[in-house]
Amino acid sequence: MNGLPIDPALAWGSLPALFDGLKVTVILTALPLLLGLALAFPICFARMSSRRWLALLAEAFVTFFRGAPLLILLYLVYYGLGQIEALREGPFWILFGSPFGCAIVALSLNHAAYMVEVLRGSLLAVPHGIVEASEALGITRRNIFIWVKMPLAIRYGLKAYQNEVVSFIKGTAIVSVVTITDLTAVANSIFEQTYDPFTPILCAAAFYWALVNLIRIGFGLWGRWLNRHNAEGVAADVLVPGRAAALRRTSDLGQVTP
Amino acid sequence: MTNLSLAELAGYMRQLGEGALVTLELFLTSFALAFAFGVLIGIATLSRSRIVHAVWRVYASIFMGVPSLLVIFLTFYGGSAMLGAVLGEFGARIDISPFAAGVIAFTVVYAAYIAELVRGAIENLPKGQFEGARALAIPPAIMWGKVILPQVMRLALPGLVNVWSFMLKETPLVSLAGLQDLVAAAKIAAGATKEPFIFFVATALVFIAFSALSFRLAGRLETRLDRGLRREATGHPPARATA
Repeated sequence: MNGLPIDPALAWGSLPALFDGLKVTVILTALPLLLGLALAFPICFARMSSRRWLALLAEAFVTFFRGAPLLILLYLVYYGLGQIEALREGPFWILFGSPFGCAIVALSLNHAAYMVEVLRGSLLAVPHGIVEASEALGITRRNIFIWVKMPLAIRYGLKAYQNEVVSFIKGTAIVSVVTITDLTAVANSIFEQTYDPFTPILCAAAFYWALVNLIRIGFGLWGRWLNRHNAEGVAADVLVPGRAAALRRTSDLGQVTP
Repeated sequence: MTNLSLAELAGYMRQLGEGALVTLELFLTSFALAFAFGVLIGIATLSRSRIVHAVWRVYASIFMGVPSLLVIFLTFYGGSAMLGAVLGEFGARIDISPFAAGVIAFTVVYAAYIAELVRGAIENLPKGQFEGARALAIPPAIMWGKVILPQVMRLALPGLVNVWSFMLKETPLVSLAGLQDLVAAAKIAAGATKEPFIFFVATALVFIAFSALSFRLAGRLETRLDRGLRREATGHPPARATA
């Protein structure tokens, strides 16, 4: 073994395969991010609803899909749902019959559960006085939500959203267990062919690292753009007031999370 | 719905229980090590040295930007080769077990997160705490142990709880390196009985119950760590002058 454990020829040769894997990883990230977010809004409203049964139902959803490890969710959807006869006969089998569909479903549910908490925390952080002022001005509830609450909530929750997206991307690495050839699976198969434990895994790690940091940079720019009306430097610290002080089982906005 | 006999079920339950113990052991060992290293690294990175700072940035960036699964695979498959490079002929013959690979990987990854939390908490402490300790000629070891770190733990607790629950949810990944843990046992039981739904839901519930329990305990710990502030009106502990 020479000093560096990386074999440059092998790394160069496996680039096309790794790029294919990266494409799958990106698709498996983008789709659940969209679906999860779309799902998170109604669940978040249910969670904040004054109807107790609705709030409890939403809380149960969040507790289960946040608390269960992603790997188990994936196994549950992939192996478990096939057991249900009605589903196997039904039209949704196109979705649940393929590993890809199962991975999308499991990842979306998991992401939605996390996003409910991020959304809820951000919405609760919007000062109540602003909402009252808007009501006093006779703005309709829908317009208050779209034009007053959401723009502020996005600013408060951006950091938490970034953390969630980053940890979500890293979480997608497990989809190889249901035979999807994502970046990790490609690296693994190269390892199995060559028995070089370092080159493929380190290359895949570099790809993930680049993807994650691209997302971080993107969020940084987005945050800067959202806070362009604020003084430089102040913008970076728009955190939810008083939130980090209390121990909360929900997402600690502004905290570093894995 | 099920066609399991009671005896069969009891057998699988025993296997799942044994798996759960392995998972718990892995989790607690990794968290303890990650915590110890994280606090040490967090303190070390406060040094003004440029080199220390650069090394820390690179380390944190790498392990916060790469999936833990890859780190586990790297230590599991490449561990003996790495040991061989460090320890020579002797090291190359040591085989890394999945358990050891998991502990090493989680320690390396999560020490970075904990160090980041500890750094942030130390930087948020009023400077007067350090100056006061120095003015009273308190030796550094006692200053850290009795003055700084207790306050750091109070500030870092919410973040630590986050890391705790995240790490718990990542422990099943080690089963992909071949560890016979709770998830591996559930998978075997699910395959053998053709009842995957029940076994995976039960496994998920075990994880959820454990997190719920640890949140409870964390709440107690928070009360205890906050005891210095309890006489203040709760709710707003401002950075007041400690005269």
